[in-house]
Amino acid sequence: MSTLELVRLALSRLRRSRVRAALTMLGVVIGVASVVGLVSVGRGTTAQITEQLSSLGTNLLTISPTGRSTTASLTIDDATAIEGIDGLAAVAPEIETQGTVATSATNTTTTSIVGTSAQYAQVRAYEVWQGTFLSQPEVDESLRSVVLGASVATNLGLGAEAVGSTIQIEGIPFEIVGILQPKGGAGFQNPDDEVLVPLGAVSKYFVGGNGVRAIGVSVANGVDMQSVRDQISELLRVRHGIGATDTDDFQIFDQTQLLQAASTISGTLTLLLGGIASIALVVGGIGIMNIMLVSVRERTREIGIRKALGARGRDILSQFLIEAVVLSLVGGAIGIGLGLVISALIGRLAGWGFIFDPTTVAAATLFSLAVGVVFGVWPARQAARLDPVAALRFE
Amino acid sequence: MSLLVLEHVGRDYDMGHVQVQALRDVSMSIERGEMVAIVGPSGSGKTTMMSIIGCLDRPTTGRYELDGRDVGTLDDRALAAIRSRTIGFVFQSYNLLPGTSALDNVATPLLYQGVGRKERVARAAAALERLGLGTRLGHEPTELSGGEQQRVALARALVTNPALVLADEPTGNLPQHQGEEVLGLFRSLHAAGNTVVLITHNPDVAAAAERRIHLRDGAIESEERVGVAA
Repeated sequence: MSTLELVRLALSRLRRSRVRAALTMLGVVIGVASVVGLVSVGRGTTAQITEQLSSLGTNLLTISPTGRSTTASLTIDDATAIEGIDGLAAVAPEIETQGTVATSATNTTTTSIVGTSAQYAQVRAYEVWQGTFLSQPEVDESLRSVVLGASVATNLGLGAEAVGSTIQIEGIPFEIVGILQPKGGAGFQNPDDEVLVPLGAVSKYFVGGNGVRAIGVSVANGVDMQSVRDQISELLRVRHGIGATDTDDFQIFDQTQLLQAASTISGTLTLLLGGIASIALVVGGIGIMNIMLVSVRERTREIGIRKALGARGRDILSQFLIEAVVLSLVGGAIGIGLGLVISALIGRLAGWGFIFDPTTVAAATLFSLAVGVVFGVWPARQAARLDPVAALRFE
Repeated sequence: MSLLVLEHVGRDYDMGHVQVQALRDVSMSIERGEMVAIVGPSGSGKTTMMSIIGCLDRPTTGRYELDGRDVGTLDDRALAAIRSRTIGFVFQSYNLLPGTSALDNVATPLLYQGVGRKERVARAAAALERLGLGTRLGHEPTELSGGEQQRVALARALVTNPALVLADEPTGNLPQHQGEEVLGLFRSLHAAGNTVVLITHNPDVAAAAERRIHLRDGAIESEERVGVAA
């Protein structure tokens, strides 16, 4: 008997008891739908996290002070020294202070005033929306030039035409040279809520001292991050006079580490979600096994008749096994459809869009096939092993 | 050569602590083209006899040879193959597959022979037409009368052109006139050269056969060869 014949037989049998077939499938439908749905939610989250993290800048090392003392442990001079290390694409020290930015007496906003170098945009992966970023001469001369973060521009109601005009920062007039593209929030700090001025301008006009909040270092492509990291660490330890047994008064933070950690965590979460959902699938499989066992018992006489008509044990086994597999596969197909609809809806609500992942669909199909085989084989063996004489006498 | 030969066949059932001897030392042979009735009251071993002749079961002792093959030595798979190619069953309670059309019922034995769908349908339809059921092909068993159901069962037994047609109380569930009609069909099968074995407790049914073997308590009590009653 060919598989095609058996599938035809199974389908005609299932058509005859539609309600039962539908209810039996329901467990697998729910199981597969939740696996597909939850895995796609997991993947969506992972994609979103990765995208946001890489928007912070790739190949980025951030050096920040670990404050044991009130005096700044990391200075502009440290940044200048770091620039001497080979393999760096850009170095951007950041001095930060809070201040008021105003276009008029009534139109004001409070934000971070960050003094930095011309490389800041490159290091932190900012795009300029209008105008230009701070130029090297502006930074060198500590000119009163400012680049506005997207949120600040919005808060002040400034559009493209504002480039070239003047705003007041803490009462001091600065020329707007550019406005940045929004990056979107990536956690605790809104990267769009700041204004950028030349490094020297901060100490000149706002706060004294040369302590920095951080030094951003962009490592050139193809250069080993770890070796750069070690060189910076060594350099700073020497400069700060830290003994061999003392701990650092700074930390070097690697963006790719965070990226890896985040994707590991969300990958684990995806697995966990999929694992929990597959419990539903197993329960669905048990439902199929239960109904198949009932079915074998109810159809004992039919099995006897078929054997009398020349069916081999193998024919009976295949018939029941394929019935179980058809149940689980049809259930699986419906579940995949439902799961994709669910993940499209969630993706739309959560804003990462619809992620169609053929791997998940293939895995769900294989998984439901496996459920059908695993939970169908025992009832089918029971059927195949029936003694024809006893089966024919069964009432 | 005889179609089937039983030599000292016995069949014991182990019912826990009791051993039941359903058949004891049965020896007989049936020639090709014969019509034989195996007759006996209930409990005489008729059903066991049918199971063994029909290759649904194997003898515990003795030797059963069908169409030149020693059945006792065959495995389940080979027995299934013999049932499929050599034997056509007709049961007392028709034993049609429920929820399955007359056509598909008759086509089922061909399915297990590996015959293609087109040919199955054609042969099954032809078999049903020969038995006057040409207009009932799509009907399910519940939509047919007892006589019609038994004719479907007969068509199903004949569709493979078996060497042996084996019928167990073929008229048992039928009203008298339908029973006579079915018996008439068996007689015409026999007239056409088929080997027919009827298993029955009913002397009127047995009277349709030219040779009658009487069973009692699992053994052959007597045998008679007579002219067929009209």
